Amino acid sequence: MNANITVTKSQSVRAFYLFFIIHTIQIGAGLMGVPRILFLEAGSDAWVSILIGGLYIHFIAWIMILILREYENADILGIQCDLFGAFFGKLMGCIFIIYIFFILLSVIRNYIEVVQVFIFPEIPIWLMTLFLLFLMIYCVSGGLRVVIGTCFLFFFLTIWLVFTIYTPVTYMDWGHFLPVFQSSPLEILKGSQKMTYTVLGMEVLLFVYPYIENKKKIAVPVHLAIVLTTFLILLVTVVSIGYFSDYQLRETVWATLSLFKIVSFSIIERFDFIAVAIWMMVIIPNIVLFCWILLHSVKRMFNFQGKRSLYVIAVFLFIGSILFEYRMSVNQMTDLTAQVGFYLVFVYPLFLYLVLQVRKIWRKRRAS
Amino acid sequence: MENQVPLNKDAYIKMMKQQFNDSPDLICKTFESKHQTIIIHFVNYQVKKDYLERDLLEPLTTSRRPWSVHDLQNKIPLASSKTENSIKKITNDLIHGSVSVYIEGEPDVVLFALPNLESRALNRAETESLVFGPQISFTESLVTNLNVVRWRLDTDDLVVEKVILGERIKSEARIIYLKSLANDENVNTMRQRLTDLVVDEVEDTSVLSQLIEDSSSSVFPQLITTELPDRFCNSISKGRVGVMLDKSPTVLVGPMSFFEFFESTEDLYVRWNMGTFIRFLRFLAMFISIVLTPMYVAALTYHYEIIPASLLISLGQSRATVPFPPVIEALLLEMLIEFLREAGARLPTKVGQTMGIVGGIVLGQAAVKAGFTSNILIIVIALSALASFTAPSYLMGSAIRIIRFPMILLAGAWGLIGIVFALSFLVIHLLKQKSLGRPYLAPIYPLELRDFNDAIFRSTFQRNVKRPKYIMTKDKKRFDKTKAVEKNDVDPV
Repeated sequence: MNANITVTKSQSVRAFYLFFIIHTIQIGAGLMGVPRILFLEAGSDAWVSILIGGLYIHFIAWIMILILREYENADILGIQCDLFGAFFGKLMGCIFIIYIFFILLSVIRNYIEVVQVFIFPEIPIWLMTLFLLFLMIYCVSGGLRVVIGTCFLFFFLTIWLVFTIYTPVTYMDWGHFLPVFQSSPLEILKGSQKMTYTVLGMEVLLFVYPYIENKKKIAVPVHLAIVLTTFLILLVTVVSIGYFSDYQLRETVWATLSLFKIVSFSIIERFDFIAVAIWMMVIIPNIVLFCWILLHSVKRMFNFQGKRSLYVIAVFLFIGSILFEYRMSVNQMTDLTAQVGFYLVFVYPLFLYLVLQVRKIWRKRRAS
Repeated sequence: MENQVPLNKDAYIKMMKQQFNDSPDLICKTFESKHQTIIIHFVNYQVKKDYLERDLLEPLTTSRRPWSVHDLQNKIPLASSKTENSIKKITNDLIHGSVSVYIEGEPDVVLFALPNLESRALNRAETESLVFGPQISFTESLVTNLNVVRWRLDTDDLVVEKVILGERIKSEARIIYLKSLANDENVNTMRQRLTDLVVDEVEDTSVLSQLIEDSSSSVFPQLITTELPDRFCNSISKGRVGVMLDKSPTVLVGPMSFFEFFESTEDLYVRWNMGTFIRFLRFLAMFISIVLTPMYVAALTYHYEIIPASLLISLGQSRATVPFPPVIEALLLEMLIEFLREAGARLPTKVGQTMGIVGGIVLGQAAVKAGFTSNILIIVIALSALASFTAPSYLMGSAIRIIRFPMILLAGAWGLIGIVFALSFLVIHLLKQKSLGRPYLAPIYPLELRDFNDAIFRSTFQRNVKRPKYIMTKDKKRFDKTKAVEKNDVDPV
């Protein structure tokens, strides 16, 4: 497999779209429940965890960009094969595929879970899955341009939800944060690690890089996207900690969505219904991008062409979605994927970079 | 040779008769003088008789000298004449309003074009009316329409290309664009699609646009059909490609973006702030028209909680006697509005107005009194119907009206989830559309912030220095910025 991909101009997009790609893939199902998860680990000092986590994400993004810059126009699949040989490279690619499949599945299942809890307790899982998969197939079959367009437009269609958080802010009790640094450094670091599930998806950069037109300008949008993501997580966590009492927050699984419960307008009494429904638009860029990565990887590694592999992915997702029937199993799957994701996205690039550097030095020596 | 003009006059007459299937409309006139026999053919209603008599028959009959083909072409005071020796071609020309003059013994026939074209005068626009601005609309005659366009676009830059469409019944089409502006790729795409067309007949430009559009399965029109010369010429002078078709009172323009369907030339004629306001009003109307009724259905079927308590009471009271679920109720009323619209469109204008009053006021009132529907739904439906009529493009308005029905059904089945699903689908659908191979959602995606100036809202003309990037014109700049703002006042301070 060739490490570099040849991309025509009509296939590529401008660098600033990376902001929307990275941001929308990071924000998704995770954000709905992140305050509680962090609170359980780091208590009222969760905001420190987020800041540390945020910094680390920036660092990883920097490493990712460094790795990609070593090549002309390569994606992670090609780089792996180039570094580790065809067999191990493809093996790592397969691990990526399986991991992304499960993260996609967990996004879908978590959202369905939320819909069942907040709006329709009786809506069948298969029906909701069909809805989401239908949109996914329809969008991904349009190619990368449509996928990126979806991220871009749905970002603007949903970002206004941030402003509705104003009402809970007015009810916050700042005393909940005091005293600062109750938690031990280890707990705070654990919180940072838990935060990673929310921001998984950054690996999309490693796949989409060849399709970016002006590659010199990618750093700014990527880091800006991470800043916005970190800010949003920080915002909902801080507001949740201030708004809910200690006990309440421990019991509230979807704290972010519960914040919407007291938001009301003159013609809409309970905003959380609308927020949960509109959250579908937050989820769609996630699903669509992950599915595109899957499709792209399958195409690149095994040369499966055309729409058939898309349908096969959809069928697998459908079956997977039905199989995870209970909350517990969804949780387990989510946790497991998050752990694998942590190592794959936040540790593995370091290793990759190290190998690249070692090889560079080795080659230099041999040349001289 | 079967197709050649025979030298013998009887054979010629017989052949022409055969060509016209013994039609009684083919007039054949024979002039015999001492020296030669001249035969004139024409189709009765296709030629201008007075010109024929004055300019052709009179010289022919009065002159004593024998006529030759050369003389006919030079001494007859008619502008368009040509010689032809193939019977097929002669027939074709006769159908289109020529007069053929045959001199026995000559292999060539002289044809004079004297077409008598039926056309109506230029009228006020009916379907796309403007309150303020030019009022003319195109007519069915290509010649008249071309005349109007030439008059409005007074430049030698204007290119008019001829294309013949239709395999069996032919009609003439013209591709029109500005050479120094229009993107070559766009022109080529348009030309390619027109020349590749293999159909029996193209009835109208609206049919043509469906034939050449990028996605024929979408409800959204991808090319604008308009009957307004000012709109057409405005698009052309922006650098787009237009198509005119004979026999059709509307013209086509492409490539178009989704947002231009909510644009009227009137936005240019009123002041910029007014124009921007009206344009935003239309976007809002589109959104309301799509979302309002489904929201009503969703809220009343599943999510009572989102309705404020004070409103819920009055809603409950007015809905208490209604025997149907909200979906059926909403669909019934939407149907009523659609029936009214359709009936109003089909009936003669005077009866149509009465229909509107009877249908709208009487039926609506009675429906509420009878406990068929709630008062609030009537308001909701009327509002969304009204909003859908604000789209300046008739086709876009219809598209919006059609979208409502599946939305209502989805809202009835799955509440808010159904609505958000439908909206998401709609957005993705629009993202996938193309117009002549160009993205349909431009300039929003692909994003060109500067082009918002032209496509989404409208700023002052002085500020609009650069041409919109998404149209991809050859010339990027409109004018020099400083020159437009500078005013050479008589009395400088």
